[in-house]
Amino acid sequence: MAFEPNIVGFLCNWCSYAGADLAGVSRIQYPTNLRVIRVMCSGRVEPAVVLSILAEGADGVMITGCHIGDCHYIDGNLHAKRKYELTRRLVEKTGLKTGRLRLEWVSAAEGQRFADLVNDFTEQIRELGPSPLSGTTPDLGLLLKVRAAKAAAEGFRLRALVGKEEKTVTDGNVYGEEVTQEEWDKVMTESVETEYSRHRIHIALTEAPGSVKELSEKLGMGSQAVLEHIVALRQLGWVDVQEIRGTSPVYVTMEVPQ
Amino acid sequence: MRKVGAVMVVGGGIAGIQASLDLADSGFKVYLVEKEPSIGGVMTQLDKTFPTNDCAMCILAPKLVGAGRHPNIELVPYSELKKVEGEEGDFKVTLNRKAMRVDPEKCTGCGDCAQKCPVSAIDKYNEGLGERKGIFILYSQAVPLVFAIDKEKCLGCGICAEVCKAEAIRYDEEDTEVEVEVGSIILAPGFEEFDPRIVTEYGYGRYPNVVTSIEFERILSATGPYRGTVLRPSDGELPRKVAFLQCVGSRDDRVGNPYCSGVCCMYAIKEAVIAEEHNPGLEPTIFFMDIRAFGKEFDDYYARAEEERGVRFIRCRVSHTDQEPDSKDLYVTYVEDGEVKKERFDMVVLSVGMNPPADADKLADIMGFELNDYGFAKTGLFTPLETTRPGVYVCGAFASPKDIPDSVAQASGAAAKAGRAIASQRGTLITSAEYPAERDISGEEPRVGVFVCHCGINIGGVVDVPEVVEYARALPGVAYVERNLYTCSQDTQESIKEKILENSLNRVVVASCTPRTHEPMFRATLQEAGLNPYLFEMANIRDQCSWVHMHQPEAATEKAKDLVRMAVAKARLIQPLKKPRIDVTPAALVIGGGLSGMTAALELADQGIETHLVEKEDELGGNLRRIKFVLGGEDPQAKLGELVGRVKGHENIRVHIGTRVEDIQGYIGNFETTLLSKAGEEAVKHGVVILATGGVEYQPSEYLYGEDDGVMTQLELEEKLVEGFSPDTVVMIQCVGSRCEERPYCSRICCNDAVKNALKVKEANPCSEVFVLYKDMRTYGFNEDYYRKAAKEGVLFIRYDDEHKPEVTNDGGLRVRVLDPVLNEDIVIEPDALVLSAGVLPALDNQRLAGLLKVPLSKDGFFLEAHMKLRPLDFATDGVFLCGMAHGPKAIDESISQACGAAARAMTILSKETLETEGAIARVNEDLCSGCRMCEGVCEFNAVEMVEQDGEVHSHILEELCKGCGVCAATCPSGAITAGHFTDGEILAQVRAALTEVSR
Amino acid sequence: MTDFEPKIVGFLCNWCSYAGADLAGVSRFQYPPNLRVIRVMCSGRVHPAHIMEAFKNGADGVLVAGCHPPNDCHYISGNLKAQRRVALLKMLMAQLGLDPERLRLEWISAAEGDKFARVIREMVSNLKELGPSPLHDSEAVIAGDD
Repeated sequence: MAFEPNIVGFLCNWCSYAGADLAGVSRIQYPTNLRVIRVMCSGRVEPAVVLSILAEGADGVMITGCHIGDCHYIDGNLHAKRKYELTRRLVEKTGLKTGRLRLEWVSAAEGQRFADLVNDFTEQIRELGPSPLSGTTPDLGLLLKVRAAKAAAEGFRLRALVGKEEKTVTDGNVYGEEVTQEEWDKVMTESVETEYSRHRIHIALTEAPGSVKELSEKLGMGSQAVLEHIVALRQLGWVDVQEIRGTSPVYVTMEVPQ
Repeated sequence: MRKVGAVMVVGGGIAGIQASLDLADSGFKVYLVEKEPSIGGVMTQLDKTFPTNDCAMCILAPKLVGAGRHPNIELVPYSELKKVEGEEGDFKVTLNRKAMRVDPEKCTGCGDCAQKCPVSAIDKYNEGLGERKGIFILYSQAVPLVFAIDKEKCLGCGICAEVCKAEAIRYDEEDTEVEVEVGSIILAPGFEEFDPRIVTEYGYGRYPNVVTSIEFERILSATGPYRGTVLRPSDGELPRKVAFLQCVGSRDDRVGNPYCSGVCCMYAIKEAVIAEEHNPGLEPTIFFMDIRAFGKEFDDYYARAEEERGVRFIRCRVSHTDQEPDSKDLYVTYVEDGEVKKERFDMVVLSVGMNPPADADKLADIMGFELNDYGFAKTGLFTPLETTRPGVYVCGAFASPKDIPDSVAQASGAAAKAGRAIASQRGTLITSAEYPAERDISGEEPRVGVFVCHCGINIGGVVDVPEVVEYARALPGVAYVERNLYTCSQDTQESIKEKILENSLNRVVVASCTPRTHEPMFRATLQEAGLNPYLFEMANIRDQCSWVHMHQPEAATEKAKDLVRMAVAKARLIQPLKKPRIDVTPAALVIGGGLSGMTAALELADQGIETHLVEKEDELGGNLRRIKFVLGGEDPQAKLGELVGRVKGHENIRVHIGTRVEDIQGYIGNFETTLLSKAGEEAVKHGVVILATGGVEYQPSEYLYGEDDGVMTQLELEEKLVEGFSPDTVVMIQCVGSRCEERPYCSRICCNDAVKNALKVKEANPCSEVFVLYKDMRTYGFNEDYYRKAAKEGVLFIRYDDEHKPEVTNDGGLRVRVLDPVLNEDIVIEPDALVLSAGVLPALDNQRLAGLLKVPLSKDGFFLEAHMKLRPLDFATDGVFLCGMAHGPKAIDESISQACGAAARAMTILSKETLETEGAIARVNEDLCSGCRMCEGVCEFNAVEMVEQDGEVHSHILEELCKGCGVCAATCPSGAITAGHFTDGEILAQVRAALTEVSR
Repeated sequence: MTDFEPKIVGFLCNWCSYAGADLAGVSRFQYPPNLRVIRVMCSGRVHPAHIMEAFKNGADGVLVAGCHPPNDCHYISGNLKAQRRVALLKMLMAQLGLDPERLRLEWISAAEGDKFARVIREMVSNLKELGPSPLHDSEAVIAGDD
């Protein structure tokens, strides 16, 4: 049987959803693979939601909003772009193909463009093949990674950073200083790496308690780095020592503070 | 000339804090300048301290808090010196105060900002082994507890301002210039750790399991990255074999640090012992050249480490360290007994030495004083506290590398010097709080006001504060309840005062954070409202409730109610207490007329204190009379003459020579002493006692001393050398009467003396042969220079140990036979002079004086101070101080520092007409007392005396000495003793309230 | 008895253990909410009668915590006195049929927030195993207006 991708599309109410309606009114044909979720604004689509859809086994996620400058909520689509970028960074971390994601601008008048996009994206996904997380035997290792990415996206730090990005990079920071995209990206890269790694460790420990060495092997992370993350996780109260086995402290998860 | 009654102390480490406290307690305004946002310095990073293994934070925290809230100390954190103008007595100092970007008046230290800050930065406090945020405090117990923004790291995202309920964030704050006028300046900027990256052969910076001693200190600490379990940074495994490499960046000419850092041997031993304590089974090995355990009870600690704790000691210099790339294990290569050895270790700790502070040059430039060859402040042997600029004094490691007690003693010494220079201005710049008259509440029913704090969201985010408020309203005795966003804010203080008056409250309960930091402030608020400060109680519903039960809001709310109920139950019973005031006799008794005693007497007399200097001999000067020359070339006899002349001629000093202290009665502020001399008995009254009883040279019974004229002590040699004695061959034997079974302690001065005399022999006769037979050469600090010089000039240093002591015979000539450990064969020397480095013994009279004053002696017979680390010059008994060799063997400059320090400690009492002491103290109900004396036995402060009244003996508490611990009350079998503010009734009410719902 | 939540009264000395408990808070170390703290200046202030009063009023466990011996005590040796009293009281408790395990003496320094939290966790879990104090059902003493 030919592979029929499962694609989830987030369409903003004012432009893209109207564009999709227009495609219908105009009877423009496009593949049946897209399942649309209407949101009021593309800026509403947060990385954790996209990541959980991917974790559920969707083969692709498409987000569409108003063209820059047309947003019904002034700058919602600008935030959508920032959030999408964070999602992309996190997906990249997990090893899942970033081609499974797409952000596009579709206006209420662009019925044809909407249909073309669906066509194009469906083709793209068809080429990528089924998501390793789909079907009855998902890749469990990858799943844990995507869950870690989702947890990282839910955490305060990345949410806060992505929430502040647009304003800070555009208008300057609270000191009235200019902050370049490069400067911001540097912090983002560091923070994504840190948060993702910590959640990897945390999730691994939820599965089974382990030592730094075991975690290092299991996660393919340097043991020195694992220890540094463990230090931070203990400080946060997420993990603690369960016992000392031989010469190895064995770590276990604690109740996670909200 | 104008003089200003204020002092600037530069550096907020333990030395700076001590100097500030001493000055502030004796009537001077102090500006304590610290470059970091919080005071505390390196000591805050330490886990334990040698030789007592005290928890560093436990003993430091009270001093931090004391300095932080002292009315006469103004903390100037995050600031650096820019300019100093003027002269001794009248300086104008310009400081650059870096922007913290947080309003210290508004910041409550709750930490919400740091929890939410998305930026991470390197945690300096944990030596980079942990992470902190872009907005931070240095360490959890920081003083002042104010966050600061790390502008280097800050993105400027604005989140902290959004989450800060106290509205304390000030992004627009800029660096500011601050000008202050002071009369004296004390420099206590401390030291910089040596950076071992320079010594590439040890692999620091390249091998993750090679760490510095200060990093290891954080690793050992319960507040450190690994919570006190020693782990390998490379893989988090528990190390078994840990090597400590000594003298990294010390005694090393190649890196420009030929001096000895003086502290590394001891801290390495301590770290080795504590590491084994934290990780049972850990095997520490210390690679060293000499173990320099020269301080009080240090050798004892060293011996216990080796014998009882299994620390392995290897005498060698390590050549290099290699890493096994996969396991990250380390191989240490060293030479022992002429053989190259290589041994595997799991971890290597580099005992890094002390460098001068990084900004020493800048400081010297701004201040206009000189540095020595190594970049430390230049001082003299007889002027250890003075820099080359008059009015600018120095203490702590910046004067020369030193440990905590020596820094503390020297800091007090610097305080004495700084205070003396402006003694005429004492009390002119300090403010004392004026309170309205206290309302008499006797006979009133308890009317408790309860103030429950939200602490932003710190309490309110977990505990249902309105519910607690409603609950408190119904508690018996409660007359008023309200809740505040921040109960500690300035406007709430005003509101509390109003509510006290409006509602005729006579007790106040605040349910918020911890009394350890906030009780004094709330008590002051009560006083401002005319209430006795003791009518206050706190319920700790933050640190011990909302913060530790973050995920159990309901249980936390129930607990908060219980805590409030307990606090109210106690509050209803608490009584107003008076802080006793005692008169102070403005006079001092200094016992001992040697260098220390005379120095202390002069310091006091110069500050206008009538001082009795008692010397048992018929002449002043003590041991200094026998010292003819010193390392460094100053003339000790000239100095002695000067000193004796000043003492004898001083209008405020009464010298009592040939006099013995017969009896001492009384207590702090009010002593009465009977002096006995040939002229008969004399009674003197004084407010303090300083013990400066000195030490005596050991009279050897070994090595043919007293039997052969060629055998002499170092002091005897010194006397001969000045008379022209010029031997061709000299053998010196170290540790005669020291570091032996009978006297296990090190006499500290003998290695330096031997080097000094060896150089003198060589100077007179360059062809002479000098052999020094030693166990460890302990030429600590800058005296290492002279040791090296002596070796360069051909003095031969031959090590011996207790199993191979030198043998001395005389069959028609002195012969010394000793095993040369390098050649591993006996060598025989026939010297003209055999010089014994005889140890220092405690003064003979110590035992008797200790009995008279009821102060303890160490097991070695020297006086035992109140606390070996932080109270080196005090006794547990108030008003009695010690200095010089009475405390233990020490050098001239150290004795002077201590003597000045003891004077400064004494001035904290003598500068006041009356002393206010603790109000929450014990009291005896004489009717119940059976006179069993049990309380007398348990009191460590001599605060219990037995008095006879109507033929019955009962106990009486000397309220001026009582510290309020309550141990006597818990001991008294008759229930006759009440511990003020912690009475049985109050404690039991809390117990019951903790467990039982109050009937409504 | 999974629902049983033991009641613990803790006497903490002001200088080390109370500071350690504060540090647990500052560090946000979580522990069960079963402890009610009474601050005393020194662990040596705690009289056996105070401890017994707690048991009499239904405490399932009592903690006495002070500074580490031999030198941390702010009052030099108060902690050693506490040690002796607790040891004696434990003997007495055994005779009274009260498990001495219910009384715990700990040295907790101002730097040991971690240890404080751990001790409380351990005590709660031990007391849950021991079950309610046998004195639980004895006549309740009404506090308040005394």
